[in-house]
Amino acid sequence: MKFAVRLSILGVAFVVMFSVIGLRLWFVQVAQGPDIAQAAEEQTWLSKSTQAPRGDIYDRNGNLLVTSRLVPAVYVDRTFIQPEQRPELIQRLSSMLTLDPHQLDAAYEEAGTNGRFQVATVNNEIAYQITEQLHSLPGVEVVKVPERVYLAGPTMSHVIGHLGLPDESDLEERPDLDTSVRIGKLGIEAYYDEMIQGTSGVQEFRVRRGNIIDQRPAAEPIPGNSIILNADSDLQQVVELALEEGIALSNEVKDELRAEGEEVFADTDRAAAVVLDPQTFEVLALASVPDFDPQQFVGGIDSDSFEALNESLAFNNRAVSGLYPPASTFKAITYTAIQEENLPFPSDIEGVDAANRQIHCDGQLELPELADGSPQVRNDWYAPGNKGWLDIHGALEQSCNLFFWSLGLGTWENRETVGENVIQDWAKSLGYGSETGIDLASEAPGIVPTRQLFEEWAAYQIENPDEPPRLDPGRLDPALASPWFGGDLMDFAIGQGNFTSTPLQVAVSYSILANGGTVMEPRIVDRIVDSNGELVEDITPPVVGTVDISETTRTELLTDLNRVVTSGTAQAAFSEFGPGLELVGGKTGTAQTTATRDNHAWFVGVAPIDDPQFVVAVIIEEGGSGGAIAAPVARHILQYLMSNEPTPITEGERAD
Amino acid sequence: MTAVLSRLREVAVVRRNNRSDWLLFGTMLALSGFGLLMIYSATQAVGTFSMERQMIFVAAGLIIFSIASNIDYREYRSIVPAASLIILVLLVAVFFFPPINEVNRWIPLGFFNLQPAEFAKVVVIVALATLLAPPLSRDEMTGPRVLSWAKMGQACLLVTVPGFLILREPDLGTTMVFGFILFTMLFLAGATWRQMATLSAAVVGGVAAVFQFDLLSEYQMNRIRVLFDQTIEPEGIGYQLVQSKSAIGSGQLVGKGLFAEDSFTAFQYVPEQETDFIFTAVAEQLGLVGGLMVIVAFVVIVWRLFVIASNSRDRYGALIAAGIASMIVFHAFVNIGMTVGIMPVTGLPLPFLSLGGSFYMSMSLALGIANSVWLMRTPVPGENQLT
Repeated sequence: MKFAVRLSILGVAFVVMFSVIGLRLWFVQVAQGPDIAQAAEEQTWLSKSTQAPRGDIYDRNGNLLVTSRLVPAVYVDRTFIQPEQRPELIQRLSSMLTLDPHQLDAAYEEAGTNGRFQVATVNNEIAYQITEQLHSLPGVEVVKVPERVYLAGPTMSHVIGHLGLPDESDLEERPDLDTSVRIGKLGIEAYYDEMIQGTSGVQEFRVRRGNIIDQRPAAEPIPGNSIILNADSDLQQVVELALEEGIALSNEVKDELRAEGEEVFADTDRAAAVVLDPQTFEVLALASVPDFDPQQFVGGIDSDSFEALNESLAFNNRAVSGLYPPASTFKAITYTAIQEENLPFPSDIEGVDAANRQIHCDGQLELPELADGSPQVRNDWYAPGNKGWLDIHGALEQSCNLFFWSLGLGTWENRETVGENVIQDWAKSLGYGSETGIDLASEAPGIVPTRQLFEEWAAYQIENPDEPPRLDPGRLDPALASPWFGGDLMDFAIGQGNFTSTPLQVAVSYSILANGGTVMEPRIVDRIVDSNGELVEDITPPVVGTVDISETTRTELLTDLNRVVTSGTAQAAFSEFGPGLELVGGKTGTAQTTATRDNHAWFVGVAPIDDPQFVVAVIIEEGGSGGAIAAPVARHILQYLMSNEPTPITEGERAD
Repeated sequence: MTAVLSRLREVAVVRRNNRSDWLLFGTMLALSGFGLLMIYSATQAVGTFSMERQMIFVAAGLIIFSIASNIDYREYRSIVPAASLIILVLLVAVFFFPPINEVNRWIPLGFFNLQPAEFAKVVVIVALATLLAPPLSRDEMTGPRVLSWAKMGQACLLVTVPGFLILREPDLGTTMVFGFILFTMLFLAGATWRQMATLSAAVVGGVAAVFQFDLLSEYQMNRIRVLFDQTIEPEGIGYQLVQSKSAIGSGQLVGKGLFAEDSFTAFQYVPEQETDFIFTAVAEQLGLVGGLMVIVAFVVIVWRLFVIASNSRDRYGALIAAGIASMIVFHAFVNIGMTVGIMPVTGLPLPFLSLGGSFYMSMSLALGIANSVWLMRTPVPGENQLT
């Protein structure tokens, strides 16, 4: 083949190639052109979202606790940035905003081609500086964005919660979240996030040389709904201060005891309290110490501060997730079970008068030889001394462990007829062992121990010997009929053993007893209104069940609770209560912990007992005696609630 | 008297034959000017002085064109080994400089970044022509030609070594240019159908091996995949292709007008619209008419290169001109094909239009050498036709 022929063949091939692109061009521009042009017209419009302000939060008296204000924020829009301009822009912005350039670069990368992202909120001075230099900062915008303001500071911080950027698990749950907009992470900021976050607006525009040349009617951002709490911020402050003072009192007492040479363990800095309306189940106050300032999270908290707060467990809302044995506060529940179920006394024990339903409360209970290996002598560790013969009323007033132990034992002995779980069933129906359903996240259910539960645990423990044991290895002995002993039921009857509960559960159980048996889910939020104040949702604590409690038992119990503060274990703490003491009832509790920690101090108060409006549950973690430490704190709060001038928190009687 | 007349006639022939290929040069100049306009339209919104930079490259390119035109292309035979060696050193050198956008293609010189692969194309064309052209003989343009297997092997080696280095940069597009040039020049040099089939089989085998052993990086694979599924990398090249097609399609028959405010070009919506996607700016602003004008300009250049090839005084010059033609055709075809979505996004620029210094200068050098082939096509009186 001649060269000229080969050249011609190549020429033809080239002509074909040019024809292919010519035809393709005709196809795209003429055949498909009109359709593409129509679609393309839309593509020249850019849109950006404008953040909506989150709704405000008010307390029940209309005090503004949380609001939003507009602050300048720096945004970067990659649409206007050439790749070669990127390094300089990152470097300049990070130095102007004192940010880590690597972090900024990562955020830039994550935004994607033509992405737009918020770099940081800034103060007015920096906003002004950057605005001055916008002409040399391609793609940079300074816009006003809403920012959260926590007017109450750390007050009610566990109820209100805080904000944070959505993490992976949030995005998994709610994939359309804007990753640059902070969401609620705790408290009602989290629980009601979708109700109060508002709806972002959309701005559509066209830009040339960094100037907007064309704009379309924008969708205005819709501000989030506002929340009105059931909680009362004044009461909340009283409660929080009382807890702080209770902690201080506890540490003072510990110092005194140390000076006296008594064995005392570490000081405490932890406490919690709940004030509940037993008729409506509105949460009037809910406090947990230590707390935090939610304002720290606005604009992002630095990792050191976060670690420090995390270390001190400040994010734990002890009122709903702290688990403690209810201890003697539980005697009111055992009391109700005894009265309602007519629980039997044990037979043939010295100091038990079954006929008159009385116990000789002398601090020591001698038990018969028990087949299951329970100890034979039980000493009342906290109430030594002879209190004489007590019936159930006197036993509650004096918090006599022997009395309730005996009834536990009697129940165990007669479990065939009364049922082995009769007391546990009462506990469960009054809210122990499951979440109360309050509108806050991370509520703990607690544990109501039973034979069945112990047997499950034992089986699990035998199968998984590497996991931390829940039961003493001695209980796993195959010679034993069951890992659950009669002594466990006796301990349960006084709120000890493996029994755990939250302060909110304790308040809920007393509320059910006080209102005559109506079980409701407590609510911290009263209603949700839109930005114009129109009602969006009225939140009523739902009734989830009823418990049959006879009116006699209810009124007797309330009367006996009043005896606790007038002549019982809290008498000293309530001596300065002032007028109306006859309307106040309560119960002390001293929860045993471990061998190296002090007891938790409990007190639950009810007032007024003729028509209960308030239930106050207070715990000072490792605070010592309930009568000495927790009762004065609760008394202080009850004085406020009953419109008495609250008197200083001083030590009460070191009683159970 | 007759002696004087004959002398005058000879001088007239010499004069005529001394004229450059003005049509070739004029088309190149027109495309370059048009390119500056398009670069300006594509970058006016960001003000990066891209057009001003390209003007410097155009000026340098014109100087290179005129120098190359005035050098007898036959001189290159002797310097081909040295030039090949220098280009190989430069192709290795790029790996010792920090990568830009994660690829090692450039040697930073301060005022601009030298891209040796662009000049390697021209060197390879001249080297292939040197290798494949027959020894000088009187009947070289007419006699039957047979390409020996040995020469074919040498030619493949000549292309494979720099081709491999460039593939490692990585620059898949330029490697493909090398393959295309090799293919067309072997064909012109007289490869038999069997030889062509063998080469094709080797290429197919090589491509299969590349896929089999994952020699392509993920991003190169995606650039091929995205041709069939533009939802891959919706933020990256998929986006680029969709935007480019939208821009070109919406240009329709006559375009949105030069500097039209409503264009994707003005809005900077097509990434790399002043370099690899410059044709998008043309077709959007000036429509099918403008796009076809550019294609016609390339047809004119290729036509002139074919005329130069057929009029060359020797097979060596003819191979050079044809090799340059195939290089330009391949660039134009793959580049425009990419903007309209029928070719993969390989980063091959459009000759004389795309912003880029090394590329513009190497294209000017190529056309300058072709012009030299044209200027030397007829032996002037007194010149030994054999040399």
